[in-house]
Amino acid sequence: MSMTVLTVDDSRTMREMLRLALADAGFRVVQAEDGIHGLEVLQAESPQVIVTDINMPRMDGFGFIEEVRGDQRYRGIPILVLTTESDAEKKNRARMAGATGWIVKPFNPVKLVDAIRRVAA
Amino acid sequence: MDALAAIRDVFFQECEEQLAELESGLLAMEGGDTDPETINAVFRAVHSIKGGAGAFSLEALIRFAHVFETALDEMRSGRLAPSSDVLKTMLRAADVLADLVRAARVDEDGQHPHAATLAEELKAMSGAAGEADETEEDWGDFEFQPMAAAMDAPEAPAGPTGFVVTFKPRADLYAKANEAALLLRELGRLGAVEVELDAHDVPPLHEMDPEAAYLAWTITVTGDADEAAIREVFEWVDGDCELNIQAIGGEAEGDDGAEAAFDLSALLARVQGDAPAEAAPEPEAPIAAAFEPIPEPPVVAAPVVAAAPAPLAPPAAANEPSPDGQAGGGARKAEAAAGATIRVDLDRVDRLIDLVGELVINQAVLAQRVMEAGLARASAVAMGLDELEQLTREIQDSVMAIRAQPVKSVFQRMPRLVREVAAMTGKPVRLVTEGEGTEVDKTVIERLADPLTHMIRNAIDHGLESPEKRAAAGKPAEGVVRLSAAHRSGRIVIEVADDGGGINRERVKSIAIEKGLISAEATLSDEEIDNLIFMPGFSTASEVSDISGRGVGMDVVRRSIQALGGRITITSRPGKGSIFTMSLPLTLAVLDGMVVSVQGQTLVAPITAIVETLQPKASDVHSLGGHARVISIRGGFVPLIDVGMALGYRREPLPATQGVALLIEGEGGARAALLCDAIQGQRQVVIKSLEANYRQVPGVAAATILGDGRVALILDIDTIVAVSRGEMRKAG
Repeated sequence: MSMTVLTVDDSRTMREMLRLALADAGFRVVQAEDGIHGLEVLQAESPQVIVTDINMPRMDGFGFIEEVRGDQRYRGIPILVLTTESDAEKKNRARMAGATGWIVKPFNPVKLVDAIRRVAA
Repeated sequence: MDALAAIRDVFFQECEEQLAELESGLLAMEGGDTDPETINAVFRAVHSIKGGAGAFSLEALIRFAHVFETALDEMRSGRLAPSSDVLKTMLRAADVLADLVRAARVDEDGQHPHAATLAEELKAMSGAAGEADETEEDWGDFEFQPMAAAMDAPEAPAGPTGFVVTFKPRADLYAKANEAALLLRELGRLGAVEVELDAHDVPPLHEMDPEAAYLAWTITVTGDADEAAIREVFEWVDGDCELNIQAIGGEAEGDDGAEAAFDLSALLARVQGDAPAEAAPEPEAPIAAAFEPIPEPPVVAAPVVAAAPAPLAPPAAANEPSPDGQAGGGARKAEAAAGATIRVDLDRVDRLIDLVGELVINQAVLAQRVMEAGLARASAVAMGLDELEQLTREIQDSVMAIRAQPVKSVFQRMPRLVREVAAMTGKPVRLVTEGEGTEVDKTVIERLADPLTHMIRNAIDHGLESPEKRAAAGKPAEGVVRLSAAHRSGRIVIEVADDGGGINRERVKSIAIEKGLISAEATLSDEEIDNLIFMPGFSTASEVSDISGRGVGMDVVRRSIQALGGRITITSRPGKGSIFTMSLPLTLAVLDGMVVSVQGQTLVAPITAIVETLQPKASDVHSLGGHARVISIRGGFVPLIDVGMALGYRREPLPATQGVALLIEGEGGARAALLCDAIQGQRQVVIKSLEANYRQVPGVAAATILGDGRVALILDIDTIVAVSRGEMRKAG
């Protein structure tokens, strides 16, 4: 049974990039378009790892992470944050919210997969 | 590579959407919208374009988007006021960004004539000195770049043989779903490791807080690894643990031996749940709680399967989908949640629409056969057919809905056009759009762009007065062009309205006379004069300007609208402006028609054109000499056109009293009565292009196949009326 990764990003391009990289590595990929959608998919899919963008409509990455961490059922799931720039402030906010780690866009597919393997058994 | 090319396509499609979002957001802000979500959406649009551009290394695009994004961020955070000037610059920047996207799409990720100047303007607005340098740094390296670079790690002493790492997680580390065991595993990849567990702090079981962190480790790493690599392992937990890294250069090793020494594999094994879960409270507790064991499959679900030895899920597989049908159901539900839309090749949809068209025809043929066979209406067969008809209609509607799209995709091209034409003419213009969400068939949308472009150019160039004239007339200097769409009685109505001076009727009339389009003595109503501008050959040399006069007159606009089965009319009020109204069918695939017989032929007249049907009385019909006749309807006269004569089916006109007249309204409200032999009924017909299957025939718009399998021609009412009127003029 391959590991399921939930990717949350409002950009279709990014979602497709992530899917390509992750599916190639043998992960099962499920996708969501924003934080609220992410919570819905989370419930339906029970992913083992979450990769989320920060800037999204409806519910941004910070809000999404807080929701996940606040839910007894999902709080143990590692969450990696995608940030476009190496913006220390954004990273810190994400960490405060409960992010496990981060990936700087544009990402290298190999490093992305490494990052996921780093947080998931 | 193929997959990447597909994503590239997705990227550019998405860019177009983001650009539209960007523009409409900026325009809304210009119009006074202060909703923070608007500026957020605008920011996100540019941010997304930059993100995607980064993935494809489109340097020029990235650089410009970055500067733009920075300025927007200033605005978002309230440091830059969204003044009119600022927004105008942003709108121009949006145009440049759009150009850069389109250039990148055709592999021309290069320079843009205005990119540099606008970037400077944006930078000046952001007001950040040294911004350029930051740009270079941020985007100089496209590789994955974890924190390592930013963490000024102290220089490792020369030639250490290894490192001793002391690591004591705090509860926060686990709360963020980091995992001590995985960090240790990572360290294990760097070289040979020796791990000691310090369990000193572990309290007695009854005092233990499952959320707290009690364990610490001392890890000795030997091999080639440098300190930066070790720090990188702990990059994500920096701040959530006590971490000390010391090079081994003769100093003492980790002090007093810990009680229990674990090797890495044993530790891993324990985390994976093989070993008894003794004093390891922190990671397991929340994770175990996260997955409630799935209950065994209910017996009622599938009695037959249940009779067979049911696979009892072993405890280890508790958090994996169970192997029975339930898992499939869950996956399907989840897939639906994950993808609310799918992308389908348009050809497939078109094929589906064709097939449904065939289905409708076949269903009609079948219904006719059943009737001919003399089966009672209440018979099971006839009733089944009724249901089939209902279903067929529903399928048709649903399939057509797949191809329906909001007119937004065309409307959103217009703001830029307006800005450009406004700049060229020196007339300040505000474009107001309404009803962008109105849906219409994709094939219609695609063919709307050209006529709309021309009409909007026309509205600004000819419709709106110069600012001086407007001032003299007591109007605000800024002209308004309103573009709106709405559904009205099964059609889409699109209006282009301006608040300019209206049609100069004197001038239009004199031009028409000069061009020989009307006789000098003709008395025309205001409405008829306004509609003269649609006549072929009206557009004059003196009218040609840089903007509107590209050799395209309003007659071409009208023809392209007619080709879509639409109508265009104008209403104009002197001093107040003009409104061009286009009424178009929602689809080009089906048509509601009146089926009539003419000289043994079956013809279809589009129902939208028919005002009423009537039985002519001999006293109402008057001959004008030759074959030209008029019929009096409620005191007015309209031409009576024998369709059989107009299409050449007969040489002698049908006596009016032997036929039925369809009172129709053509372009510009001109009315005529079409004389047919009889009316067969009203039905929806599937349009088959005559041009594609045969050739264009004057007076015939298209063809269809009727229930009895015969081909029927669909009348091109406007052409028939125009031709007959021309003949009538000659006759009169």
